[in-house]
Order: sequence, then structure tokens, then C-alpha cells
Amino acid sequence: MYRYDEFDHQLVGERVKQFRGQVERRVSGELSEDAFKPLRLMNGVYLQLHAYMLRVAIPYGTLSSKQLRMQAHIARKYDRGYGHFTTRQNIQFNWPALNKIPDLLEELATVEMHAIQTSGNCIRNVTSDQYAAAIDGEVEDPRIISEIIRQWSTFHPEFTYLPRKFKIAVTGHDNDRAAIKLHDIGIVIKQNELGDVGYEIHVGGGQGRTPLIAKKMADFVPKAQLLAYLEAVMRVYNMLGRRDNSYKARIKIMVHETGEVEMRRLIEAEFAKIDASQMLAVPPAEIDRISAYFASPEFETLPASSDVLEAAKTRDADFARWVRANVVAHKQDGYAIVNISLKPIGGVPGDASDVQMEAVADLAERYSFDEIRVTHEQNLVLPHIRLHDLKTVYDALHAHDLATANLGLISDTIACPGLDYCNLANARSIPLAQEISERFADLDRQYDIGELKIKISGCINACGHHHVGHIGILGVDKKGTEFYQISLGGSADENASIGKITGRAFTEETIVDAIETVVTTYTDVREGGERFIDTYRRVGLDPFKERLYAE
Amino acid sequence: MPNKYQLIREGALCQDEWIYSDEETALSEAPTIISLSRLKAEADVLRARNAKLGVQLLADGNGKTQLGEDVHELEPYLDMLSLVSIAFPTYRNGRGFSAARVLREQFNFDGEIRASGEVLHDQWAMMRRCGINAFELAPTVRLETFTEAMSELSDAYQPAADDQRGALWQRHK
Repeated sequence: MYRYDEFDHQLVGERVKQFRGQVERRVSGELSEDAFKPLRLMNGVYLQLHAYMLRVAIPYGTLSSKQLRMQAHIARKYDRGYGHFTTRQNIQFNWPALNKIPDLLEELATVEMHAIQTSGNCIRNVTSDQYAAAIDGEVEDPRIISEIIRQWSTFHPEFTYLPRKFKIAVTGHDNDRAAIKLHDIGIVIKQNELGDVGYEIHVGGGQGRTPLIAKKMADFVPKAQLLAYLEAVMRVYNMLGRRDNSYKARIKIMVHETGEVEMRRLIEAEFAKIDASQMLAVPPAEIDRISAYFASPEFETLPASSDVLEAAKTRDADFARWVRANVVAHKQDGYAIVNISLKPIGGVPGDASDVQMEAVADLAERYSFDEIRVTHEQNLVLPHIRLHDLKTVYDALHAHDLATANLGLISDTIACPGLDYCNLANARSIPLAQEISERFADLDRQYDIGELKIKISGCINACGHHHVGHIGILGVDKKGTEFYQISLGGSADENASIGKITGRAFTEETIVDAIETVVTTYTDVREGGERFIDTYRRVGLDPFKERLYAE
Repeated sequence: MPNKYQLIREGALCQDEWIYSDEETALSEAPTIISLSRLKAEADVLRARNAKLGVQLLADGNGKTQLGEDVHELEPYLDMLSLVSIAFPTYRNGRGFSAARVLREQFNFDGEIRASGEVLHDQWAMMRRCGINAFELAPTVRLETFTEAMSELSDAYQPAADDQRGALWQRHK
């Protein structure tokens, strides 16, 4: 993992001190809420429906056990005993008192963490593949370049007051788990014929009220030129992106309105100027220094299978199901990637209590080279577990209600905070996620249904990624009543697509039945082992519409 | 025309010798800031004028995208200009940060670049990093506040228009 040097420590420390001054001026009344707003937003502090909310950055979703323990401590000391993992691999706390936030940030800084770049119209915290350095077939650990981007973009003097927020995601693998085509900039690490590593760049993806898939702007940007290329994209956007309407201000709208060809021309013209200056070419020695932090753990030489594991699976059917659903093959023989579902049946998607966080931290320290990952689907990952430790890890997770065997299944829902917390929401998301999860609680039925991603947003801003849910649910408000619109066929992976709306919305009372109808339609028409998304792509929307709106 | 302000230039409070002119008034011998449209319309005459000239780049155009004026349009006139004033219509509009860097880094403009309009405490240091060296600030701002704000962050992660190299480079001097 990346470790701060004195430089990083100093800057984060200074930032905390600066914010402490700003909070003091706010609390004393010297600053009005209006004047304070831009300052708090640069430090991850939002004003929600009931209280201030603090969002803590987890760069590219990687945490050490010490860092996760600190989140548990913060949850206990400053919040109500839990934290909420977000779709951008961050964690947010819903109930901190404003005047205590500087203390909270000071404690965070002791474990090399902060809340910078988690809000405001700046380049936000970079996200990446939760299986980085554990999955087979990766070109390069995406966290190396993510860390370089993190540093380059932190307190960027030119790009902190952009037309709108700006999100960058990186993957080093053909199977995209970082939803890169739904980001302002998506980066795919590639190797060319000469064996050199470079970057394929996608620009202008995003969700919100105008969902768009990013356009590929460059096939291969050489390593040394990446920051120059990114700065070119940013400058073109900062100078020409719309500022008249915040719903039209994301770069996706600019790409859409300018056109792909002209956009590419603008970026390349700016890139040529910046690249010529050589000022953003990162020294190879610095790339080596950062790469060294992400060196592969010292894996043991182990057989590819484990008798201990096989015996445990035979003895314990629940364990066997969990292995089948939540454990993924590792690149190293004798190891596995463990997904920890934060979607217990009837629970709040993405929430973890202080005790749960400490339990996961202990397991990571003992069994997973001290590493935890946060996924954009609001789960956690222990990336490097020995096969013969799987049962021990499972038992410990199970004791903390963390062993729900539903990864990628219908109850592994993404949901935004919705009307329970958010002042933008039209409808509640969390209670609906809970109801759906209870309706499909039977795990055998979930396995029969197979991979099915439900994503729920409480309003058109799409924080719950409903556009890219295999089944997307959008909360809408009609004359003060909550309604839910269904869309089908969305996907956030390397074959990204935007879902299509089925038709008129459903009420709070009928929405879960409607989801059930969609699912039974699928199981009726699927062929062989076809996944939901494949069936949908084969048969289209009509069979689902017919059943949903019959009579 | 900007409201009453105090000028902080290169970190010091100073008397502003510049005046903003409108579109018609004949220019005196005093250092004068005019609009981009007037600069373009009267360039030939202005080139012969023997006094300092500045231009104000307006950020808020009337088009639907509200992009405002394009810094690239200044390129043919740079030899005539001693000052560029960049208007920030609201603190949220950070377009002028890019204009300043283009002036310094791509046009090698070495005159004064000043920020006018709504500029926040938090933005001064970032503006300076982009090459802005003069600030039109509300008369209530104390110089000490400004000086402190400039040094709240002692270092930078990335290069810009100033002489800070950025951590990724500095570690390997």
C-alpha cells in the first residue's frame, strides 16, 4: 500500500489546520452558511436532511487494517456506531457534529486519511478495480497510476472550480469492475505490441439525469504522457464546459454537444502544447518509488487446491454456498479473493457497524496481508486469503453477520441513501432495497435466478446507479407520493449499456411485486444457463412489458 | 466597471494606477484597461498610443453556455498589453484559472494578471499558482489575512504557472 512521506503528511496536516480555522469562523458566526459552504464542500462536509455528513476518501478503495479500525473508532466516537460505504469506494458518516469535525479529521490524518476531493466541483477521489493485484490477467496494478493521479489532482490550482464535479476511474483488466465507461474519464491500462504499458482513455461517461456512455478518445497514451493528456482534457473542459445550468455542466454533455471528433481535436491540440513543455512527465524514479509500495505480497508457494477447504465445504453446506457465491479465483495458486457482502437480508446496503469494521480489520491483518478493499457495489473485499484459511475467515465473518452469500445476486443491491438522509431525494431507497432483499431472501432461489444486479436511486441524480442496473429502480415523486420507475438492461461493465424504462411507474405497494414479475418473466423465457442480462439482450423489453402491464 | 476595491499586487497593498474605461471615452495618458471588443476594434490606433494598456477578459458572455471571452483571442495583441484583468463573475466560475495559465505558460505573458470580481479567501493561493499576481479585493480584507491565506499550504503536488515543482518531481530533484 502507498504510505505517506513527510510531504503528504505535511500537506494533509496543513489542510486540517486550515479547515479548523474555517469551522471556528463558522461556529463563531464570522462566516455565514453561504460563505462557509464552498469551504466545507472542499473538505467533504455536506449539509444533509437532518445533519452534516462527512465523506472520507478511500483512494482507489484500498484500506489497511489500521485505517479501517480508525473508521470504526470514528463511527463510535463521532457518529452513531456505523459508517456507510459508498458507490465511489468511500465511506461516509451521517451524524458528526460540525464543531467536532476538525478533531475527527485530525484523527483521520494519523492514519494517512482525509476528506479531500470527496465533494465540490473538483477532480474527485480516483476509483479503481477492487481486485487489483489479486486477479489473474491484469496488465498492471491500476493503483500505481491511480496514486499518481491522486497526487497530481490533489489541490489542483487550476481545476478546483470546474463547471461540475469530475470523476476518474482506472482498470488494469479486460473485465471492468470499475465502471470506467460511466466516468468523466475512464482509463484502461493496455500493453502495446512492443510490450510498453500505456493508457486507453474514455471521456464523457456518466449517469445523473442524462446517462451517457463515455467515448474512446485515445487508444494508447504512453505512460510518461498520461498527466499531460489528463491536464489537456481538464483544460478543454474547464474552458469550454457549460456553466449556465448545473445539469448540463458535466463533461459528458460537452462531449455530446461538441461531438466526438471535434472533442478529440480540441483535446489533442491542447495535449500537444502541454506535452511539449515536458513539465508533467513523471520521473521514472518516482514511478518506481510509487510502484514499490504496490509490490506483490510475499505469497507462499501452495498447491492450487486445498483438502482442508474441500473437507469444510462437504461438512458445511452454508459455507460451500458462500464459497460459490462470494469467493473469486486468485492469480496465485492456493489463494482466493473473498468478497464480504454488506447486504445482509433486510439490512441497509453498504452500512457497517464499528464492531463489524473491527472484525474485518482483524481478519485482514491476520489473513490478508493487512489489506481491505471497498467496492463500488458497496461491499468489502479481503484480496489475498489462503484457501485453507477460508473456513476460519468465514466463521469469523459469520459471527458478525458478514457472511451473506449473495455477491452479484438479486439481494446484492446498490442503493443511494434516499429520502431517509438526502435532501435531494424524491423517494426512499433503503427501505425498498430491504423489502426486495426480504422478498428474495431464500438463497436457493437467488442462486437459481443467478447474476442479477438491482440498483436503486431515490432521485434522477442517479447516485444508486439505476441506469446501469440489470434492473434499475428510480424513485419519482408525484404530488407528494413516492413512485418507482423500472428500467431494464443496464450494465456498468466492459459492455456498458443504459437501461430502458419499462413504462409507467409503480407505487410503494406494488413495486416489489413488479420486480417479482420481471424476475419470473426472466426465469420463464431464459434459455439454459443464460444470465438475466443476456436474456434481456436476446428478447428485449417487450416480454417484460407485457407481463408488467397486463390487464 | 468593478466596484470599489483595494489592490494587492505581488503580496503588497498598493495604489492602483490603472483605470477602467468604457467603450467610447477617449483614452488619456493614464494606464487604462479596456474591453476585448474595444481592443479588437481599435487595435491600430491603440498600437500607436504611448501609454500602458490593459484588457479585461469577461467571463460571462450572453450566449446560452455563458462561456465568456476566450483568452486565445488576446494572442495577436499581447505585445501591446501590460495587464490582463480576468473577471470572476462568481467564485464558482473557475474558468479564469485556465485563462491565467494559458497567458503565462503558452503566451509567456509577463505583465500583470489580476483577478477581479467574486474571489474567495480559499482561492487566492490557487490563483497565484496559476499566474495571477494582483487581486482586486473588498476593502474589508486585511493584508495579514491575505498573507496568511497565501501560506496555508506550504507546498504543492503538481506544477503550475509558479515555481513550485510538485511532489512527484520534487522528490527526485
